[in-house]
Amino acid sequence: MIIELNLNGKQVAWEISPGDRLLDALRMDQGAVSVKRGCESGDCGSCCVLLNGEPVNTCVVPAIKASGQEITTLEGLAEDELMKKLQSSFLDSGAVQCGYCTPGMLIAIWSRLNTGGTLTEQDVRHALSGNLCRCTGYAKPVEAILKVWEDKS
Amino acid sequence: MRNISQWFNPESPQEAAQMMRDTKGKGCYLAGGTDLLLENRTDFEFAVDLSATGLNEIARTENGDLFIGSCATLHDLETSPLTHEFADGAIAFAAAGCGNRPVRSTATVGGNLCNALPSADMVPVLLALDAIAFFTDGESQESVPLGEFFVGPRKTVLDGSLLIGLAISGEYANWKVISRKLTRTVEDISLVQVAVGLEIEGDTILRGSVAMGAVAPTPLRATEAEALLIDLPLADAPVAFASVADLAAAVCSPIDDHRATAQYRTEMVEVLTRRLLCEVAGIEDVEKYRGEK
Repeated sequence: MIIELNLNGKQVAWEISPGDRLLDALRMDQGAVSVKRGCESGDCGSCCVLLNGEPVNTCVVPAIKASGQEITTLEGLAEDELMKKLQSSFLDSGAVQCGYCTPGMLIAIWSRLNTGGTLTEQDVRHALSGNLCRCTGYAKPVEAILKVWEDKS
Repeated sequence: MRNISQWFNPESPQEAAQMMRDTKGKGCYLAGGTDLLLENRTDFEFAVDLSATGLNEIARTENGDLFIGSCATLHDLETSPLTHEFADGAIAFAAAGCGNRPVRSTATVGGNLCNALPSADMVPVLLALDAIAFFTDGESQESVPLGEFFVGPRKTVLDGSLLIGLAISGEYANWKVISRKLTRTVEDISLVQVAVGLEIEGDTILRGSVAMGAVAPTPLRATEAEALLIDLPLADAPVAFASVADLAAAVCSPIDDHRATAQYRTEMVEVLTRRLLCEVAGIEDVEKYRGEK
């Protein structure tokens, strides 16, 4: 079957099977390789993207649910000012080692920052609670995010 | 999921339930899909997607009842002003404790209930508030108290019918309610969950409820224990709360598994029930009264 959707601002048509996961459709068919395959059970957040602006784990979303919707992956935010600041801050703070969890973390915190409100260290940790990192840990990413927040406010 | 060859998009709950009947046991309802995609089940050939059925509403009815559509996401429940202003925001709090933020964007309250795990995170708080479950077989609509909705692990009364939503009577809007779950890590499946609710007027507790999850084949209420909470002067609450907690622990029949032992779970029901009752009533912990009747 063919579904149409908006991927990173462009109208695209995908050929999918009804049982496909959004994760597979994005990686295999669309080459959106910032979307990482991790736990495949909704726990680790490596495959997080924005579906109509809401963060979702694509390993537990059927591809067909994207039909007629808007999907934003990290590739789609490459020119976004806030995202650029987050990325630089991650590099400056040493918040990246292997980098596998980084796209998911960036999407999660970008989405949280765009909902407005204040941001404490606890808020950052809460926002990242769905993103598992197996090498850097969380201290450096939290530090990197708080730096961006402090510069912004 | 991989065997699914056809995908249906019904536009009303009745149409969805009729489609399900036509699939003759080979179809599954799909709300958010977070549970279905985890399970490598091969017995489904048809998916009946509920996205377009309009069941994601959260509303207060004219008489003050809270209605929660079965396809409301956990994030909807976490953020809706209607859940925040009802019963101390206990439903919003319970929703915020389910899984992680990206999962809550798609996972629905109906999915959590219909999957019917004994540890389903949304159940104890809804059970403590005497929620009524509404469902349809495509022709008529029926309802049961949530306490009668679960018949065993992964089994409900639905039998192919579609859960439309839950209604909670407006008389609970001013109850004081707290729920808590114990887990190994923040996002893990619950070892034990307890929700307690009290209706307090002046110096008297008029009535109360105690609901538990993950400690029996189905979520359950501690009805015998709740009888002690009827017309209870707050001055007598310390001793009574200790008894309520003991009685609540006595009706549990938990299992031993890799997460916790049955003995630990039972003990924690006593501890949580006691502490939550004290917290809701605004009194100090009453551990010293354990064993007094």
